[in-house]
Amino acid sequence: MINSMIIGKYVPSDSIIHRMDPRAKLLLVFIYVFIVFLANNSVTYIVLTMFTLVLLFLSRIPIAFILRGLKPILWIVLVTFLLHMFMTKEGDLLYQWGRLAIYEGGIKQGIFISLRFLLFIMITTLLTLTTTPIEVTDGVESLLAPLKKLHVPVHELALMMSISLRFIPTLLEETEKIMKAQAARGVDFSGGSFSERVKAIVSLLVPLFINSFKRAEELATAMEARGYRGGEGRTKFRQLTWKPLDTFCLIAVFVLAMILFVLRS
Amino acid sequence: MQEKRNVKKLVAVGTFSAIAYLLMMLNFPLPMLPTFLLIDFSEIPALLAAIMFSPIAGVAVEAIKNLLHYFIQGSGTGIPIGQLANFLAGVSFILPAAYLFQKFRNSKGLTYGLALGTVIMTLMMSILNYYVILPAYTFFLNAPALSSQQARELIVTGILPFNMIKGITITIIFMMLFAKMKPWIQRQMAV
Repeated sequence: MINSMIIGKYVPSDSIIHRMDPRAKLLLVFIYVFIVFLANNSVTYIVLTMFTLVLLFLSRIPIAFILRGLKPILWIVLVTFLLHMFMTKEGDLLYQWGRLAIYEGGIKQGIFISLRFLLFIMITTLLTLTTTPIEVTDGVESLLAPLKKLHVPVHELALMMSISLRFIPTLLEETEKIMKAQAARGVDFSGGSFSERVKAIVSLLVPLFINSFKRAEELATAMEARGYRGGEGRTKFRQLTWKPLDTFCLIAVFVLAMILFVLRS
Repeated sequence: MQEKRNVKKLVAVGTFSAIAYLLMMLNFPLPMLPTFLLIDFSEIPALLAAIMFSPIAGVAVEAIKNLLHYFIQGSGTGIPIGQLANFLAGVSFILPAAYLFQKFRNSKGLTYGLALGTVIMTLMMSILNYYVILPAYTFFLNAPALSSQQARELIVTGILPFNMIKGITITIIFMMLFAKMKPWIQRQMAV
């Protein structure tokens, strides 16, 4: 199950989308989330889907990666589709079987809502596939920088987030290792009574916490040794540069929003 | 020395959040309850951070865990309602526990704290679901709005027992964990 999830699985490439400033991509996704709700008829959904597919095409990500990202939510989409198909009683009656009736409006509504789901998941998957988690964090830090004036610890939060992103794969590997080690000692992770299950979880968590704390201590010492002294006046190794391409992409999203606004019913 | 402690805390909150995120991914539904209520053990790292460092550190773990979940997994409704609900539930659970533990500094205080946390989380989530979360969900999923009778039924048969079971399960696991890790935790806090 874990391998099928895309945990910060960045696909390196040199596409236009990859080269975009992470801030532009974050803003794009943020605006897109609101724009999705503007679509409410066939034309607007087609325009929105086309726009999303063009972005996917430009990213030059193999379609298999996108599909893998969609897999975990497929059943939710299916349930939503069926729910809307049977619950909406609008338009012509297409099919009746006992108390189950399918109306034209129901199918339409089902497709629209499922499509909204898929489009949204696609755009966020696209963000994680074309942007390294570090870039996302840098982008968030830069976008939220004005909040520093309100004493929001933006730098600290971004640092903690980039550290946890960095440690997710490491700790996942460690979890698997500990589970194997404990299984070798006779712990059963797959079944047993409630109290046995609790004991199994505790036997996994104790070494996991202690190891991760040790790692944190080592990393803190390493940071100190390199002169880390908080965000104040800290220079950056990775500089974010806003390019004309980024401005163009944002304008494209605004144009899309206007088109949708005009075409929606 | 003060500086050193702070950097260590900062980094440790980061790694604990990573554990919380991983535990959050290993979620599962409870039998007899609606399947969108998923139980997981991601409150445990937050609790540990709250009692080892400070209540704010625990809140930070909850926040980072949900932010990462939103960035990596996204949200079906576009707006992170599920993540927000999880954050509020987590905070209302860990804060009373951390507060009572800091006051008494022993397992007894922790037990009372966790029990109080379970009660507060259950109450908070029932009220918030009735007024905010359920209406928000039905709005964004474009589903027919629940009548107040339906919402009340869902809360009493689903959300209330779910949060109680979640609170009790985490309390049991955390008490066992704390019993095992007590010497280590005290040593770390003494430094």
